Amino acid sequence: MNLFRSEEHIGRWLAGRPPGATIPVAKLAELAWAWWGDRLDPDWRPHTREQNQGILDGLGLTGEFWRLPT
Amino acid sequence: MDGRDLELRNLTYRTFVRLGRAPTPAEVGEPTEVEAGWRRLHEEHALVLGARGELRMLNPFSAVLTPYRVEADTRAWYGNCAWDALGICAALHSDGRIEWACPDCAEPLAVEVADGRPDDESLLFHCLVPAASWWDDIGFT
Repeated sequence: MNLFRSEEHIGRWLAGRPPGATIPVAKLAELAWAWWGDRLDPDWRPHTREQNQGILDGLGLTGEFWRLPT
Repeated sequence: MDGRDLELRNLTYRTFVRLGRAPTPAEVGEPTEVEAGWRRLHEEHALVLGARGELRMLNPFSAVLTPYRVEADTRAWYGNCAWDALGICAALHSDGRIEWACPDCAEPLAVEVADGRPDDESLLFHCLVPAASWWDDIGFT
């Protein structure tokens, strides 16, 4: 899970491996805040699979690649 | 996760943030009980232990140095990956600065994060492993 300057750098880094998913850093920031923002809350409870899938879906990260295991 | 393990998990996170590093079992409680609790939490993916039972990840925080260095809330931290690096700012509710090297060409890169927004929106995040397999090998993911 890495950050790159451009698609060109991603392509070279993949070195022939099948690509995963690429999203803009602004979308990643939204994901990070939704996923990790409560991690130090005193009343933190574990996220359920459904909560986490809801975060991904709500950010438009849909499709098989973003489907959490059931 | 029962109430006892939830309490241990929360105490472990609080201690990590207070110390700015991974606590030893003795810094969290009775060592044998803490070690057993950490193993249960590891099995539940609430934290990640290394081969010797030491704390390796308190996601999004890394207990060891990684390529993703984060300055936030007056300290330096390390994220397990780019997502976690931003997650450290999110968890601390803090602005921050993330420094890393391009995984392709090793060029030093940095981004400032303010109010949850990176200052260079041209950057791209690549996730190689599908979500269904993230925990198959969390170190690789």
